[in-house]
Amino acid sequence: MDAICFTLNGRAVSYSGSATDRLLDVLRGEYHLTSVKCGCKEGECGACAVLINGTLYNSCCVAVGAVAGDSVVTLEGFRETERFAVLEKAFGALSAVQCGFCTPGMILASEALLSRCPHPTEEEIREGLSGNLCRCTGYNAIVNAVALAAKEGDGLW
Amino acid sequence: MVNGYTPASLREALELRSRLTVTPYAGGTDLMVRPRPDDCYLFLARVPELRHIAEDEQYLRIGAAVTFTEALEDERVPALMKEALSRIAAPAIRNAGTFGGNLANGSPKADSVLIEYVADAKIRLASLRGERLVDVASFYQGRKRLDLAPDELIVEVLLPRAGLERYVYQKVGGRSALAISRVSFAGVFAEEDGKITNIAAAFGAVADTVLRYRDIEGMLLGKTVDEARALRGEYLRAYEERMVLTTGRVSAEYRKRVCMNLLGGFLETFGI
Repeated sequence: MDAICFTLNGRAVSYSGSATDRLLDVLRGEYHLTSVKCGCKEGECGACAVLINGTLYNSCCVAVGAVAGDSVVTLEGFRETERFAVLEKAFGALSAVQCGFCTPGMILASEALLSRCPHPTEEEIREGLSGNLCRCTGYNAIVNAVALAAKEGDGLW
Repeated sequence: MVNGYTPASLREALELRSRLTVTPYAGGTDLMVRPRPDDCYLFLARVPELRHIAEDEQYLRIGAAVTFTEALEDERVPALMKEALSRIAAPAIRNAGTFGGNLANGSPKADSVLIEYVADAKIRLASLRGERLVDVASFYQGRKRLDLAPDELIVEVLLPRAGLERYVYQKVGGRSALAISRVSFAGVFAEEDGKITNIAAAFGAVADTVLRYRDIEGMLLGKTVDEARALRGEYLRAYEERMVLTTGRVSAEYRKRVCMNLLGGFLETFGI
């Protein structure tokens, strides 16, 4: 049987387990990418969000066989980018992080939003992050951080 | 790959479906909530024949593997459908979830399916034996029971291109994002030369399938709005008597009350 080949954070990988395995479990268990958090396993919390070919998905709701040939990016890959540096600074400056469990998903949802919409309104930010739950911050700091990143990172997206 | 196939064409997908026991996998958002790790998944998201949005004279044809995000970005998709799609879950789910998957999951809460009911949509199914076209209402035979043979796949949804302009859509959920419908309602109204030509009403998430009662709708067809207003009480009583709702996450009584409120609001929107 052929393995499942895909690109993970820019590196070619091949996974020889079952195509029905959850991408979330494969990323954490096989590739030790622990930024990908397991919150609910039913697509409700966004903590396991990853980018597949640049589009946001919840990796708990993806079977690994579905990403054959794709490019998967987790926070470990995204943090090498200039865009990440801007988002990190904005989230830090506005205390948009408390326990941090939702943060990788929030950052990737922000990247997905800003890629489509570089100058979002507050409403667009709230819509873009609507699939990511945070039990600490009350969201306002996160929404403000994304707005700040859009401003500070003008031209990057 | 182990436990999976990624067919490159519909023909190949149908051959696999006919020869083997496979579980169709489109977006994964429902399937992976209750995954079947020992099954063999048939990955359909890239089958080109399932990926189109096309128009013919009568219908907008939406491929079974078209995602909700893709449909929201397509200007040909009617506003009523877009309103329902935009209320589904959140971006990451809409990026994955598909029309075919929403249908095949069989849930009466499926938000795109409610619109297909009220719009008189048809579903195109295919197998190596051939194709057939079924009304969405007959595709659902009961709770999670579909008119889909083990060798068939859903190919596309046929949504009428005309007649969906005047509508009411309401989704009642526990929160605004990521909400599973507690009660959902879609109503479509049309009149010609002062006479009502369509007054379709569909209720989601309240019984084993989406509910729609064509005979009760018939009470108001061909009437003027004034005549319909005079029949309002009788019409609402007919729904009240006919709707036998189930208790799920919320009680049947609550569902009934909300359905009747939404139906009354639909009539008022169009002056009835």
